[in-house]
Amino acid sequence: MNSRLNPRMNQPMTTPTVAEVAPEVKPPSLRTRLARNPEWFTVALIVLTCLLVGAINPRFFQLATLFDLLHSATTMSLFALGTLVVLASGGIDVSFTAIAALTMYGITKAVFAWWPDAPFALILITGALGGVMLGVVNGLLVHRLKAPSLIVTIGTQYLYRGMLLTFIGTTFFMNIPHSMDHFGRIPLFFYHTADGLRAVLPVSVLALVAAAFVTWWLLNRTMMGRGVYAMGGSLAIAERLGYNLRAIHLFVFGYTGMLAGIAGILHVSNNRLANPFDLVGSELDVIAAVILGGARITGGTGTVVGTLLGVVLVTLIKSVLILVGVPSTWQKVIIGAFILIAGTLFALQRKR
Amino acid sequence: MCHGVPRWARLNLRLAIMNQDVSSSVQPEASRPFLQVAGVHKRFTGVHALRGVSLSFERGQIYHLLGENGCGKSTLIKIISGAQPPDEGELVIEGVRHARLSALEALAAGIETVYQDLSLLPNMSVAENVALTSELALHEGRLARTFDRRELARTAARALEAVGLPGDAEFQATLIEQLPLATRQLVAIARAIASEAKFVIMDEPTTSLTQKEVDNLIAVLANLRAQGVTVLFVSHKLDECYAIGGEVIVLRDGQKMAQGPIAQFTKAQISELMTGRHLSNERYREGGLGQDVVLDVRAFTRAGQFSDVSFRLHGGEILGITGLLDSGRNELARALAGVAPAQSGQVVLDGRRIALRTPSDAKRHRIGYVPEDRLNEGLFLDKPIRDNVITAMISSLRDRFGQIDRARAQALAEQTVKDLQIATPGVDKPVQSLSGGNQQRVLIGRWLAIDPRVLILHGPTVGVDVGSKDIIYRIMQRLSQRGIGIILISDDLPELLQNCDRILMMKKGRVASEYRADELSEADLYHALLSEAA
Repeated sequence: MNSRLNPRMNQPMTTPTVAEVAPEVKPPSLRTRLARNPEWFTVALIVLTCLLVGAINPRFFQLATLFDLLHSATTMSLFALGTLVVLASGGIDVSFTAIAALTMYGITKAVFAWWPDAPFALILITGALGGVMLGVVNGLLVHRLKAPSLIVTIGTQYLYRGMLLTFIGTTFFMNIPHSMDHFGRIPLFFYHTADGLRAVLPVSVLALVAAAFVTWWLLNRTMMGRGVYAMGGSLAIAERLGYNLRAIHLFVFGYTGMLAGIAGILHVSNNRLANPFDLVGSELDVIAAVILGGARITGGTGTVVGTLLGVVLVTLIKSVLILVGVPSTWQKVIIGAFILIAGTLFALQRKR
Repeated sequence: MCHGVPRWARLNLRLAIMNQDVSSSVQPEASRPFLQVAGVHKRFTGVHALRGVSLSFERGQIYHLLGENGCGKSTLIKIISGAQPPDEGELVIEGVRHARLSALEALAAGIETVYQDLSLLPNMSVAENVALTSELALHEGRLARTFDRRELARTAARALEAVGLPGDAEFQATLIEQLPLATRQLVAIARAIASEAKFVIMDEPTTSLTQKEVDNLIAVLANLRAQGVTVLFVSHKLDECYAIGGEVIVLRDGQKMAQGPIAQFTKAQISELMTGRHLSNERYREGGLGQDVVLDVRAFTRAGQFSDVSFRLHGGEILGITGLLDSGRNELARALAGVAPAQSGQVVLDGRRIALRTPSDAKRHRIGYVPEDRLNEGLFLDKPIRDNVITAMISSLRDRFGQIDRARAQALAEQTVKDLQIATPGVDKPVQSLSGGNQQRVLIGRWLAIDPRVLILHGPTVGVDVGSKDIIYRIMQRLSQRGIGIILISDDLPELLQNCDRILMMKKGRVASEYRADELSEADLYHALLSEAA
C-alpha cells in the first residue's frame, strides 16, 4: 500500500546534483536596491531644497553657506552618529542631550573655577570620559533591567538634567576658559566674500569628520559593529549566536555618551557660552535627522553616510530657510512633512 | 527552546576544504560511531520524559527521529545539543564520555542544531549570517576585533556553494529578509557547514517547504552525508523520510521503540510504533456533498499572484486546493479570507454577492480562516485558550453596556475544548502551553464559535503529529456533515486524498485541473503536481 502511495519510495536513492534543483534566486530589482540604499531619497530631498532656495536667493550658492552649514551641523552630527549606533542596535536614546549639557556645563564651570589655563585637549578628553560614564549607566540599566531603552533614557534624561540644574548651576556664563574660547576661533580655512565678510570654516569640523570615520569603521569593520546590527536584528538570536549582549549594550550607550560629551564641549567653544538650559529638547530633531537618513526606528539598519545626509537636510532646513524669507516657524512644518513623506515611502516599499 | 550558547565555543574552526571525495578523511575512524547515547533518563517535575534511551549514530548517516508530540523528541535533541544535562546515562562523542555534556562542549565537538526558526538575522546579509558566527568563534566571542572581509566572503562562498546557493558577491550581499523561506533554510544549513559541523540536527526543516524545495534539501543532505556529516532529521512527514532514506528512530513515551534502516519499515508500521495504535490510510471522507452551492467564486484575480480563478463550493463539501508554493494557492487563501484581497472577480455566498476586502468582511459573512502560520497569524500565544476561542465572536458576547459576558464566554470556551478534544487542564491556560495539534484545534474552535458557512483551513496539520492529525481529520468530517463548506489548502497529498471530495490543482496562479479525490492515487496526484513545465 505504501509503495503505491509514494512513487519515489522504492526507487534507489539517487543523489541529484544540487545545482539542478537549487532554488532560483532572482537578481534584486531596482526597488529592492532602493530599499537597500534609502540614502538616495535623502539626497533627492537635499538637492530639491537647495535648488528651491538657490532659485529664490542665488546668494545661497557660495562657499560661505557651506561653511555655515558645517559649522552649525557639528554638534548635531555628533549626536546623530551616536543615535545611529543606538538605533542600529535596536534601542533608542533620548538622554544624550542631557549628557552633553551636564558634561559641558559641569566641566566648563569646574575648569574655569580651578584651572582656567587647562589645555583644550584635556578638556575635550574629560568631556568624552564624562559622557562615557553617564552613557555606561544607561547601558547597564538597559541591560540589567531588560527594560525598553526609551523608558530608561527618559528616566536618565530627567535625572542628569535635574542633577545639573540642582547641584551644578542654573546661570549661564560667557566667561569660558581661554583655551576653549581660543579653539572656537581657530579657522581651518577662511576667505573674504565679495561683500568683504570673512567666511570661516571652524576647526571643529574636523571633529565631525573624525567622528564620522570612527563610527563608520566601528560599525562596518569590527566584530563589535556587526554585533550592534545583530542585536538590532534580533536580541534573542544574537544571544543564541554567542554575541555578548552586555558588552554590546555598554558599548552602544557608552559610545553615544562619549560623542555627546565631545559635542557638549565643542558646543561651548563654538558659541563661547555655557548655558545649562541649552541642548536638552533637541533630541527629536536629532532622531528625525537619523530617520530621514534611512535608519529604521525598529532597529538593525542605518548607515553613517545616510545619517550625515539626514543631518545636512535638517540643518539645511533650519538654517537656510531664513535666507529666502520663510519664517522660522515653518521649519517644523517642513521637517514634519519630509519625515511623513519618507515614512510613507519606506512603508510602501516594505509592503511590496 | 533554550539554547543561549555561544557558538564560539568551537575552538577548532576554519573551514576545511569541502571536497566531494572526503572518504580518505572519514575512513580511519569509521569503525567507531560518532555519537552514542547510553541509557539516558530525563525527568521533569512529574514527567519522566526519557526512560533509558540508548542510540548510536554513525558518521555520514542520516537519522530520522520520529514520534508524536510529547514523546521526548525535543528533550532528546536538547540533551544531544548540550542544552540540558541527562539525569542518568551519558553521551559518548568520538570515544569521549560526557556525563554532563555542556552546550559549549557540544558545539566544540561539531554538533550544530538548525532550529525551526532558523536563527537568522533578518537585517544582515547572507554572507554575514553564514560566516560571522564562525568568525566570532575564531575570536572566542571577543568583539573588540576587526575581521577580514575577504576571508569572510570566501568562507561564505564555500559554504553557500555546498548547499547549492550562488556564492557570488551579489547574493552574499542580499539581506535575509529579502529571501524566500526555502532559501533561508539553505542559508541556515550553510551556516552550520561554515562552522564545520560534524553532526547536524534539523528540527522540522521541511515544514514550510514545497515539494521542489524539499527535493533540493534532500540533495543537500545527500552531499553532507557524502562528506561524512551525520544528520539527525526531525520531521512529521513520513514520505520525506522515505525519500531521504537512512535510519529511522521511533520514540514513544520516552522510550526507543525501534531503530533501523527505514526501508525495512512500512508506513503503517511506523505509525503504529509512534502511536501505539493502528492508524489506517483509509479515506476519512464519508458524507457526500450537498446539492446547494454555498460559495461561488468567479474570475478571482490578484495581479502577479493568481488570475481568473473560478470554482464552486457545495454545502458539506470538502474542496482541496493544492499546488507548488508559487502556484498562488497561499495567496488565494488569503484573498478569500480578506487578508490580501483580490483585485477583481466576484464572490457569491448563498446566492448573494459579497465583497471580501478585509478580514472583518469575511468574518461578517461567516467565512472562517485558519491560517498556515498559526503562531504568527492566528493565535495570541500568551493569552488564555478562552480568549483565543471567543475573539472572533466577541461582539456577540456583549451585554447591554458593552461588557463581555464572562460566564457565557467561559461556557463557550469549555464547550469548544470538549467538542474538539483539546487536551488541557483548563480554558484559562495560555495557548502556548498546548501542543501544535491542540493549538490548531483552538483556532478551528474560534471559527466554530461564529457558526461558519465556509471554513478555509490552510495547512491545518503542518507540524502536527500523527495522532493529532487523525483527530483534526475527524473534526473536519464532522463539520462537513453539519453542512459547512470546507476549503482545505494543503501540500500534504495523502491528507488531500483522504479528506476531500474534489481537489483543484493550481499552477502559476491559475486552476490547472480538477480531480475527484476518490478516483485518484497519490502517485497520479504527485505526478500532476510536478509536471508544471508541461
